[in-house]
Amino acid sequence: MTTKEKLKKILVEDLNLEELTPEDIDDNAPLFGEGLGLDSLDAVELVVLVQKHFGIEIKDMEEGRTAFQSVNDLAAYIDGRLAAA
Amino acid sequence: MMRITVKGIGVTGGFGCGVADLALALEGGVGRVTELTVPSAGGELRLPAFRAETGRLEEFVPKRTLRRIDHYSKMGLLGAYLALQDGGVLGSDLSRMGVVVASGYGATATTFAFLDSIIGDGDICASPTHFANSVHNSAAANISIMLGAKGPSLTVSQFDMSVPSALVSARQWLAEGRVDTVLFGAIDELSDLIGYLQHRRRGPQQHRAISPLAFERESSIIGEGAAFLLLTAKDSGPAYCTIDAVETGSLYRGKLSLPHDALMLLGADGRKELGDRYLDTVPGRSRVACYAPIYGSMPAGAAFDLAAAALVLQNGKAYPIPGAAGCGMDGIAVPLETERVCSLRLAGSHEYASLTMSRG
Amino acid sequence: MTHPWPVAITGLGCICAAGTDLARCMESLYGGRRAPEASTRFTSSHPTRFPVFEVPGFAEPPELLRTSALGLHAAREALADAGLDLETLRGLRVGVCVGTTVGSAMNNEPFCRDYRAGLDPDLEPIERIMRSNPAAAIAREFELTGPCQTVVNACASGTDAVGLAASWIRGGICDLAIAGGADELGRITYNGFISLMITDDSPCKPFDKNRKGLNLGEGAGMLVLESEELRSRRGVRARSYLLGYGSACDAHHLTAPKPDGEGLRYAIAEALSCCGTPAEAVSFVNAHGTGTPDNDRVESRVLADLLPGVPFLSTKGYTGHTLGAAGAIEAVFTVACLERGMIPGSAGFSTADPDLGGTPVQACTGISGTVALSESLAFGGNNSVILLGKRGAA
Repeated sequence: MTTKEKLKKILVEDLNLEELTPEDIDDNAPLFGEGLGLDSLDAVELVVLVQKHFGIEIKDMEEGRTAFQSVNDLAAYIDGRLAAA
Repeated sequence: MMRITVKGIGVTGGFGCGVADLALALEGGVGRVTELTVPSAGGELRLPAFRAETGRLEEFVPKRTLRRIDHYSKMGLLGAYLALQDGGVLGSDLSRMGVVVASGYGATATTFAFLDSIIGDGDICASPTHFANSVHNSAAANISIMLGAKGPSLTVSQFDMSVPSALVSARQWLAEGRVDTVLFGAIDELSDLIGYLQHRRRGPQQHRAISPLAFERESSIIGEGAAFLLLTAKDSGPAYCTIDAVETGSLYRGKLSLPHDALMLLGADGRKELGDRYLDTVPGRSRVACYAPIYGSMPAGAAFDLAAAALVLQNGKAYPIPGAAGCGMDGIAVPLETERVCSLRLAGSHEYASLTMSRG
Repeated sequence: MTHPWPVAITGLGCICAAGTDLARCMESLYGGRRAPEASTRFTSSHPTRFPVFEVPGFAEPPELLRTSALGLHAAREALADAGLDLETLRGLRVGVCVGTTVGSAMNNEPFCRDYRAGLDPDLEPIERIMRSNPAAAIAREFELTGPCQTVVNACASGTDAVGLAASWIRGGICDLAIAGGADELGRITYNGFISLMITDDSPCKPFDKNRKGLNLGEGAGMLVLESEELRSRRGVRARSYLLGYGSACDAHHLTAPKPDGEGLRYAIAEALSCCGTPAEAVSFVNAHGTGTPDNDRVESRVLADLLPGVPFLSTKGYTGHTLGAAGAIEAVFTVACLERGMIPGSAGFSTADPDLGGTPVQACTGISGTVALSESLAFGGNNSVILLGKRGAA
């Protein structure tokens, strides 16, 4: 499974987005506000999910904010951190 | 003492969902006991239990808004919506409504899930969503947010005395005119932990019904659910009943003074440890009812007692006690005409609550 | 109402990182002393160590949760302060209203770990929780007969407990009440708040431009409340009076405050209205001031609007955020500050944030007025406010 596919699965299952399937999620759609409509509590949950599933620690929400723009941005961020590790 | 009026009832529990289901179950006189399966050292435990459903919540809110809301809060939300609907105020301005939630143990499943996230994946993987939902006032908060209720909010956790204790404060809000209505409810939730503790503390569960007046033996059956009442200080309009007095505290000396002309609705729920106290406390010639066999043994049961009492008073007739009557007490076996009910709940060695209600 | 406003406060008790009794706490506050550090009582595998405010040298008895032991400790101080011995208490109907968060949680990590590992652990940790309900523990200790209530309104619990107890007194439900809050530091809470990413890995900086979040703390604050009529009959002095209580819900979000501070605005107005106290009479505000970006922004803007120019401070720089105890500890501090005619500097503050409504006091500041306000903003959107001061100050 690619990072993007894995992320979409995590979003649907762990954030309980019941009416969506991973395929429904647009790579470029905003995760927060518009688009998927996640909020600040989801953001911190996502930080923990990234730690749990990829072993990457996001230390503060400034770092998180740019990474969390869309599935594409988050996948790129994760792949970048994994490569650097 | 100021009287408050019960204008609406919303319930979900082992008997079903909504005040009509509760009334049917009380008339039928049989508790709908299902099963809770919990893991344990010796393999899976199967315990009798009263489970509550929340599917009907989708009649009131879109499913996607419930995405992050746990079973505990869902039960509370459902009870709240049903009570408001029953009271005919759903859709009106609720901004000056107070919200009071009583819970014996809080959101135990989510509390446990939070611990599981730490135990399973380490401290750094602690789930913030589970943590936020495990805070006791999460149900009251979710209710306020969904309903736009901006009045005062109170959540009380006092084990068996949660409901009577919270009612003291709810009544004060109405007496002071801080709010005109209070959405008052209780929620308790089953979970692996609660099931396991029931097994450990009360032994293997062979019985399939609570025999509340059989004080010589243990017959408690754990339950979950939410029971909400819409309370107001105003007298006008249709209502189930009035709550005339709320007495609660601890008794160290003397005897509890209880009304002689009221049906005694006991909070006995099959727990043997409280048997002697009930026998000791209930006046000799009282007519006694007990409806825990319909909803189960849990602190929130006290709010179900209030709902049942409200139905009794609306009908002017008390339902018979489900199941066999027990020793030493005159439990009603046939419907009894009733104008006053005294809901009596005892806990520990000294705690008591006596709530007197009457036909409006 | 059986008894009108205001309600007399005749006893105070306090224990937290700043001291094991009120006098010691105030010494630390006025001395500008604070020492948050990594916990000595628990560890976390989190790579970052977040400082906490632990009560030093306090050991709870094995049969009680630490939260309830802290509560009892402060209750004893408050009762002694109010000149109440067991005999006098027995002749009165005494209610107990205590706020907490940890103290009511049905969780014990070692028990749950063992259970999950397929063992049958000893039941004692659960039995301990069952006998340690904070309000019930106090009622039992002194054989009190009145209503007993543990308030679990998250961070507003302590303030709400005081306001609710006052309501019971005014309603004649009990003659006297012990009201306050208690909470202990623990691993579960620690990990929980870190997961929400609202904790600071350095000593907290309420209202500062560089604030990063809160530090957790522990402790208990207790007040003895009674009607003016009873106080006068007993012939004891009041340390202060509760002049008002207000409380309202944002109805906005589970963990974030409403940006326009709607609930807080309402609560402040409600508290002032109880005795008809004009806003101009408020001489200082003990703010919630946790040091989180959101709380401090919302709170300071509301204060700037409703109480412009009124000095404010956060004492959480000295105690950490003591959760269910916070509102009560801060109520106790507020009374002590009114008595002394001085407020301490707001610990942790050095650089103003232009995004905020104002800046807190930076050093000990003399106060000449007789009325003060203490407020709490909680998870779940509860905003609770109490007004304290001299009788007839309105």
